[in-house]
Amino acid sequence: MKTVIELLRDDPALSGWRVTEKATASYELFFVHRKLETVRATDTVSTGVTVYVDHDGKRGDSSFPVYRSMSEADVAAKIKSAVARARLVDNAPYELPAGGTLSAALPTDLDKEDPKMLAMRIADAVYAADDLPGGSINALEIFLYRDTVRVRNSRGVDKTQTVHRVMIEAIPTFTDDKQSVELYEDHRFTAFDPEKVTAEIAEKMREVRDRAAAQKPATPMKVNVVLRAKEIKELVGELAYDLNYGSVYTHANLHVIGDDLQENGTGDKLTVTMKAIVEGSENAAYFDEDGTELTDTRVLENGKVTAYFGSNRFGQYLGVEKPSGALRCCRVEPGTLTEEQLAAAPYVECVSLSGLQLDLYNDYIGGEIRLAYYFDGEKTVPVTGISMSGKLSAVLAGMRLSEKTEISGAYDGPAKLLMQDIAIL
Amino acid sequence: MSFSSYLNGKREDCAALVKALSRRFSYVSVLGTDVRAAVYRADRKSSAAQDGAGECGFVVKMHDGRAFFEYSLDDISGDKEALAEKIAAAVAADPALESRMISTAALEDPPMKEDFVRETDFDSYDDAQLLGICRELSAQLCAADEKVLNAIAMIQPYVVSKLFVTKNRELTQHYGWANGYLLAIYQDGKMVQARHVEGSDKLSEIIDNLRGSTDEVLDLARHLATATPIEPGVYDVITDSSITGLIAHEAFGHGVEMDQFVKDRAMAKHCVGQYVASPITNMHDGAAAAHSVASYFFDDDGVLAHDTQIIKDGILVAGLSDLASATQLGTVPTGNGRRDSYKRKAYSRMTNTFFCPGTDKLEDMIASVKHGYMLFETNNGMEDPKNWQIQCTAEYGIEIVDGKLTDHYVSPVVMSGSVPELLKSISMVSDTFKVIGSGMCGKGYKEWVRVSDGGPNLKVRVKLG
Repeated sequence: MKTVIELLRDDPALSGWRVTEKATASYELFFVHRKLETVRATDTVSTGVTVYVDHDGKRGDSSFPVYRSMSEADVAAKIKSAVARARLVDNAPYELPAGGTLSAALPTDLDKEDPKMLAMRIADAVYAADDLPGGSINALEIFLYRDTVRVRNSRGVDKTQTVHRVMIEAIPTFTDDKQSVELYEDHRFTAFDPEKVTAEIAEKMREVRDRAAAQKPATPMKVNVVLRAKEIKELVGELAYDLNYGSVYTHANLHVIGDDLQENGTGDKLTVTMKAIVEGSENAAYFDEDGTELTDTRVLENGKVTAYFGSNRFGQYLGVEKPSGALRCCRVEPGTLTEEQLAAAPYVECVSLSGLQLDLYNDYIGGEIRLAYYFDGEKTVPVTGISMSGKLSAVLAGMRLSEKTEISGAYDGPAKLLMQDIAIL
Repeated sequence: MSFSSYLNGKREDCAALVKALSRRFSYVSVLGTDVRAAVYRADRKSSAAQDGAGECGFVVKMHDGRAFFEYSLDDISGDKEALAEKIAAAVAADPALESRMISTAALEDPPMKEDFVRETDFDSYDDAQLLGICRELSAQLCAADEKVLNAIAMIQPYVVSKLFVTKNRELTQHYGWANGYLLAIYQDGKMVQARHVEGSDKLSEIIDNLRGSTDEVLDLARHLATATPIEPGVYDVITDSSITGLIAHEAFGHGVEMDQFVKDRAMAKHCVGQYVASPITNMHDGAAAAHSVASYFFDDDGVLAHDTQIIKDGILVAGLSDLASATQLGTVPTGNGRRDSYKRKAYSRMTNTFFCPGTDKLEDMIASVKHGYMLFETNNGMEDPKNWQIQCTAEYGIEIVDGKLTDHYVSPVVMSGSVPELLKSISMVSDTFKVIGSGMCGKGYKEWVRVSDGGPNLKVRVKLG
């Protein structure tokens, strides 16, 4: 039986091809309270094929999956069908990435231990934090993954990278005689530090206890609002998405190179670099799905747009000599905000949001706050039942970024972002 | 279009694997999936015609009288005894966890053999026609107004084949669904995006409706370009069907997914039999409750589709369950066990979720508002079933002054507050009804499944920001 690659190489109708194979093995535990409800394991391979056909001065492409169940005849028929589809597609010409072989694994210690034992130790680390009177962890899901991604194309690319990663979804809960409340939390890592996991969950246990004690403050009010790393990552991600090659090519971008996102700003200037690797992130990678080697790219410097980033095809369309590849991590340079400066005026520090709502087109930032700490200038109390809304451009112009930095998933940057005079209802 | 020939050839393999694993487990099921999807897309500068996100594989579910075990794999060919041994070893837990497993009653396996089919018209269209229609729609929007920077038209059909086998059951189902999208990127002072979405199991219907919607998309784009931020406050609000569905889904649907009852993660667990909404409120969910994107014949646990009434005259009467949660709660599963794909676990999930129509006329509802907004088009929402907070974002709203819709558009509009306060504030329910089948729903931030939601227009009082 011919392999997919052999069938593609033998097809004279093709101007090029790409095969992406992702093999995933997982081991998963699902706890209800402290009891083990479900044990899962997976062993799967996803193979995606893209064919490229040059015609009439244009380049057409079409993709299809190849399943393990398919025979050689099935795959040959899918190639034929994809070629016909690609002939219908008339995109501007572009070249596939050329050459380059790699076989690498992202740094991890998760491969040193049997997954069953490791999953149990992770569960033990989580439940070690479950010692708060009135507190409990009502549900825990643990996912251990090993992903091996291989990209090959007709121009000699043959690259493989392996990522070991863990995702924990833990639900810290606090119950007293009046109510029972919870916070949703997920934790992702590529190296296991039991003490760090226990400490992070313990902090969430304290926060959920505070949610039970939280009151709705007097509203409406205008006050400074602090975002933590998780939400800063979302804000920066939204700003960066606007600057990817695909958005620019399709005219969906709001900002162009040279634009100042913080015009007449009085706060800390925003400098953002899209990166291939942030230590410990499951999004870290050496290459993207085209096999393009990832190149760190500074997209914002002191608030001004300095570059776009993204995949090979759209990069070529914009005339970029060496497209950055689809970067999935980011670094934000620290600001100047100290804890002392932060405490100089009242503020609301968001701990848990239903989801930060961002709309670049309508210049909006907001969201429903499930738990925050309100510092009124003297004391700090937990608050809940409020929502915030503001003008994104005003937030960017006046925002302060903390000196202190933090790594949160694919984000490496200031631990806190201070937004001035936000409406709270 | 017919049931997957690949899965059809795997009936005996599934039965043999069930038999081999039944020596180790008291209950074994095998679910085989073969989902084929396609994407046709065109904008001013580019186009695409290719397969979309499909799947083809198997998930084996086992129960040993205590806990549940699952194993996902791509193929089940070959020696079944060896495969059974491999699966049993893969899902074994560390011995230290054995004593920490749940204990449940044995699972029932009532005999049934049935093949379910719902026809589509997808075979009436070929690749060239569908891509051509996308090109035509994109070009039409781009040519209509020089302020249209780009316009994207997309059609996405998919076809589902599933095979479910246990010792006593062999079920198959085969059906399809398609979505169509129009998006205009428009600049007039500021840049905006105006959307239109269609869903049906008839491509002819989608194409007709998309062709009939281009003027509406342009009109919306022009109005959105004039939209202003809303002044945060508490308002009387009239919802369109999309926003009604968003409320049904986020405010209450997630809260009655009964795997959350098992985990004590849902306030609703303690409210069955109590008033949770205004007495004019009725709400349903079920794959058999409406004809839309989540209308399957049996769920991913092999349980037949239901029509579950969740709220009856304002009183919470029932929740939605998958096999594992129903087993732990001692209830009958409601056919809501759904998976992101064969690679993922089954959870209790919504299907087609909606409020039932009432008796009010929409024009009377608008006329009853002194100052408020009519909200349109779901953007996103987030559930909080334990604490009954809600956040729903509408794409836009139109101001109502003295009982009349104005030309003043606001965007975006975030609706938030307490679920019981919102549901108890429902004061009028229109006699119209629409379910919109274009949504994807996650549980927390993962496990994406296709859902529909909708209902009539509602009049509520809620915080907007």
